[in-house]
Amino acid sequence: MPATPETTSRQYAQPVVNAAEAPLIRAPEKIQSVYTVTTIAACLPMAAGWLYFGYHAILVSLLSVASCVAIEWGYFRVTHSPALLGRAHAYLTGVLLALTLPPFTPWYVVILAAAFAILVGKAVFGGVGHFLWQPALVGRFAVAVILPVLAQLTPAGSDQKQVTLTPTHWPVLSRDHLLLGDLDNVAQDRLVAYRGWRSRQASPGTEGFAMQHPAETLAPLSRGEEPAYSALAHPRQDLPNSKPAALTLLPPIGDLLFGARPGGIGETCAAMILVAGIYLVYRNYVKWQLPLAFLASAAVVAAVAPVQLAGPNQTVEWMWFPVFAEGLDVGFTYVCYQVLSGALLLSAFFLATEMTSSPVTTGGQVIFGVAGGWIAMGLQLYFETAIPAYLAVLAMNTLTPTIDAIWLPRVFGQKHFEWLRIPFRGKPTKE
Amino acid sequence: MTHRYGIFTGGIDIPDEKQATLDEPIRAVSEIEVLRVPLAPCGGAAAEAVVEPGQSVRAGERLARAGQDGVDVFAPLAGQVRDVVSVVTAIGRQLMRMPAIELTELSGCREIPDGEETFDWIHADAEELRRRIDESHLVTQRRRPLPLTRWVQRAHRAACEVFVVNAVESQPYITADHRLLVEHGEEVMRGVSILARAVGARRCILAVDQRRTRDYDPLLAPAEYYEVEHAALPPKYPIGSDHILLKVLTRREVPCGGNTLDIGAAVIDPASCFAAYHWVARGRRLGGRLVTISGEHVTRPANLFVPFGTDARSLLPTSPPPYVMGGPMVGTLCEGDAVTGPAVNALLAIDPTPTGSASQCIRCGWCRDHCPTRLNVAVLNDLYELSRVESAELLGALSCVECGVCSYVCPARLPLTRRVRELKRAIRRLRHTPAPRREGEPHHHPETT
Repeated sequence: MPATPETTSRQYAQPVVNAAEAPLIRAPEKIQSVYTVTTIAACLPMAAGWLYFGYHAILVSLLSVASCVAIEWGYFRVTHSPALLGRAHAYLTGVLLALTLPPFTPWYVVILAAAFAILVGKAVFGGVGHFLWQPALVGRFAVAVILPVLAQLTPAGSDQKQVTLTPTHWPVLSRDHLLLGDLDNVAQDRLVAYRGWRSRQASPGTEGFAMQHPAETLAPLSRGEEPAYSALAHPRQDLPNSKPAALTLLPPIGDLLFGARPGGIGETCAAMILVAGIYLVYRNYVKWQLPLAFLASAAVVAAVAPVQLAGPNQTVEWMWFPVFAEGLDVGFTYVCYQVLSGALLLSAFFLATEMTSSPVTTGGQVIFGVAGGWIAMGLQLYFETAIPAYLAVLAMNTLTPTIDAIWLPRVFGQKHFEWLRIPFRGKPTKE
Repeated sequence: MTHRYGIFTGGIDIPDEKQATLDEPIRAVSEIEVLRVPLAPCGGAAAEAVVEPGQSVRAGERLARAGQDGVDVFAPLAGQVRDVVSVVTAIGRQLMRMPAIELTELSGCREIPDGEETFDWIHADAEELRRRIDESHLVTQRRRPLPLTRWVQRAHRAACEVFVVNAVESQPYITADHRLLVEHGEEVMRGVSILARAVGARRCILAVDQRRTRDYDPLLAPAEYYEVEHAALPPKYPIGSDHILLKVLTRREVPCGGNTLDIGAAVIDPASCFAAYHWVARGRRLGGRLVTISGEHVTRPANLFVPFGTDARSLLPTSPPPYVMGGPMVGTLCEGDAVTGPAVNALLAIDPTPTGSASQCIRCGWCRDHCPTRLNVAVLNDLYELSRVESAELLGALSCVECGVCSYVCPARLPLTRRVRELKRAIRRLRHTPAPRREGEPHHHPETT
């Protein structure tokens, strides 16, 4: 302001300090509604899980949600951290955790997983909006590490079972005992000759089947100690000891689509996951690029990555491009089985897309999805882990800040594509 | 309307709520008894009053004389000077308090004046037009007004090629420019022609909303005569922002932290062209402007021709304050005693969305997805909280057009627009570049209509 004599008496326009800020209208979406709608969408695959796994699954789900909410409430009472205010995300975490757990999980494992999910996954980082890893997966990962037997746990009360289950055989209710059946009374007769879940009824006195996990059926193709199969679908005529092929032992693809297969409570029903995921995409809570990149990348890895074949004289051959090995039809079926047999769909639509632990930009989400799908399928094919897709998502969550830092699309008015500029550099400026 | 234009990435579709006033004819304001004419219509230093309390003034008589950088203030209506008071009006994004002259016992014509052309502007050359505009003491009737003569000088000096009339009112409720084009379109076209020649632009574009092209059919002939191109643009907010509009029209981007003159384009609104025509051709200063009176609580929404200095309460007598001055996306909330000025194109009685207290960012990325300049607002919010100004500059914070989209979509209700604006201010302070001056440098303040 000039201080010359003729202007000193001049008055100036002064801003009114506490005027309301533009914009004065806001979109109706709030954080709470985002989490509530996602929770409701996640209930769809959970309901499918209830159908196929009976009241055990219902108990595990309710216990998971209740313990997540209770632990978060208790933690909030202790710390009064504002980022833990509001229960919407605790419900979501509980539901997502339940989706990843096997239906016969004992109660203490569920509570342990919930405690890890809330306390380590969320509270340590400062609550909603600050965590690095998807909290439900932190809980799932913790119990998978601490209790490695979880993958091999058999249904509770195993002494009453009619058949002793092997570790890789998980129960599914038969079609006349849906929802209210008991996973303890299972028969193993389904293993002998697979005719499809719909065409079979449980034998008298049993309520379900013990089925081999489809991923376990496929595993010898790529990571067996000795190659179990001569080819993907057809025995090779030139080899005398050629065994029945993997695809003929698997359940029909309809069972994989609609969920009549062993797995976590929410992992099995691909159709429900797709419906809920597409609804989330429609609501803009999930960008379609991430699940698509995740699944497409996993499918490409499955189509390209080598499988083991028994060669002549007990040798092992690695065959690249299994998708072309016995014609595109067999290859396509093989890729579909690989994608549907694990938890890839659930990870792609519900776990990898957690807003806080995935990159902000669309390009970053594509990077996240491609790398995540690659890791997930790689783990599923060549490493003996119970939770390959979840591990992949956790690994990519770890890299999310890096992706956000290096993927900086060109801003309006900037001349160049800003690649590899680390934003958090320099010292804080004192205001 | 032959050209087809592209669209920008980002942006939002907001409920546009214009139906109430879209087809209502312009009315004159009748119920006012007192005017408080603000003496600093562009902000900055106020003009000094040259009238005494108790003195009677005619319409158009000089009320106050400004120094070098401001404009003189003239009486919008005839009346009696009561006193010099202090009033509040909206300039840019904020309310400003400034001195004003209070006029009572008002009389005189309150409608848009009609008259014969007294100046042969068609055959006048550009120098003559600029001299005449120098005497006008008009201001550009944008969110952040500027003396018209300064605006013309600056655009002329920058040798801008394109002259764009921004009639795309992409904010909800506002139809003032639309009604002006419908009812006084030919005069606006002449004003466009005058200003374009004064600026020396080679190409002249009138940008309108593509849903209203049928209403502008009578404008086609004058537009062709005065060599004004039409551009019909889709209604996606914030296409009314100058930088975004120019990107769509010319495919050129205003450089980071620059203004529209950097890419050789001058942008103005129809109301300023209308006022310029009235002064240059007819020798009259318009003492008011069109203001959209609308909102949920208004019994008779319409566009009124409102003299400068009318208070909000007398324009919206049936609805209680607070009111929204300027659009809901870039305007401010004001009380009943706030007065209209050249920057106020709408006065709305709507309920602002209650925001409550902001929660923490969940990194949903909606701000980034909808940002018309593709800024990563979520990261800028982090940088704001960490006071990392240099990093914000690297990320291009100066490109922000302050359209308010990020705050609008934020599910955490964070005041993102304000935070980015404060980052921009800090960046300038850090660079030791002078802060944008109050009287309305357009340099760092992109307009959104």
